[in-house]
Amino acid sequence: METLDPSDNQLVERTQAGDARAFDELVVRFSPRLYGLIYNMTASHEDTNDLLQEVFAKAYRSIRGFQGKSSFYTWMHTIAVNMTINFLKKRNRRKTMSLDDVDNGILNDPDFIAATSNGDPSHSANLGELQKKLNESMLKLSHEHRAVVTMFDIQGMPHAEIAKILKISEGTVRSRLFYAHKQLQTHLQEFIKQ
Amino acid sequence: MDNNDISKLLRLKRYEQPPAEYFENFLAEFQLRQRAEVIHRPFFQIAWDRLCRFLALPSIPRLAMAGSFAVAVIATGSVLTWSDSETEGLTPTLTQQAPATNSPSQATKSSPAIQYVLPAEVVTYASRRSF
Repeated sequence: METLDPSDNQLVERTQAGDARAFDELVVRFSPRLYGLIYNMTASHEDTNDLLQEVFAKAYRSIRGFQGKSSFYTWMHTIAVNMTINFLKKRNRRKTMSLDDVDNGILNDPDFIAATSNGDPSHSANLGELQKKLNESMLKLSHEHRAVVTMFDIQGMPHAEIAKILKISEGTVRSRLFYAHKQLQTHLQEFIKQ
Repeated sequence: MDNNDISKLLRLKRYEQPPAEYFENFLAEFQLRQRAEVIHRPFFQIAWDRLCRFLALPSIPRLAMAGSFAVAVIATGSVLTWSDSETEGLTPTLTQQAPATNSPSQATKSSPAIQYVLPAEVVTYASRRSF
């Protein structure tokens, strides 16, 4: 993500020239991905919705200051992560994630198919329980660790991109990931033993 | 359970998405909020934004902006100097009024009073006139 996507770049330039519709297009383009990022950090759909609105509002207000030194994608993610971490620090409460609204796309996921391929309904139920336990474990991570896990494991972003967004070194990203995975493993091992 | 299993489980979380219609409505909600924000914004913020937008226009050369700024500074300075010279003859000064009595009921006991220092020619003119 070193170079700007031309289409994003054009939309940014048009927005900077005063074309609000160009920014609408950017909202449509980026909202699903940013939603995933914020949701996996806040664990609340309501908070995610409010925060996502605020993220785009802030981006729109600041877009004239965007000079293209990083990609627009990185810039938007930086705003979203910073605002979400600030929000979480203020909120200072924890909620349990709900898996009720898992998208049907999960049924086509190779990992999900592999995990449930033995056809045993109790196995699927256990997987659901395990997923629920994973969400609870995620909430036990610090905001910074959760941000790294969300971007790397859930959103599939490379270390270098995460490092740019969080303004930390790649080594720090790797060490945070290592620590977070260890913590998650510990929590889930306890569940598996039960 | 190893690191790989954790990663696989975490990858499944990408399916935690709101219904498809959510994103269709999101833009409309965003536009509504933007409009509401514009309506409820204080005047000075709107004016500041417009000024910033004006100054950020690429068609205006930086030299012209600097020139305009210099002219504005000089004009402001001239006006201030002119108004100072207009009021030069009558300068209010703050003096501490000595207490007339020891009574605490005297409100002016310790409060400063404004005393006008008149120019000498005005005093001379007034002393020559007998009312």
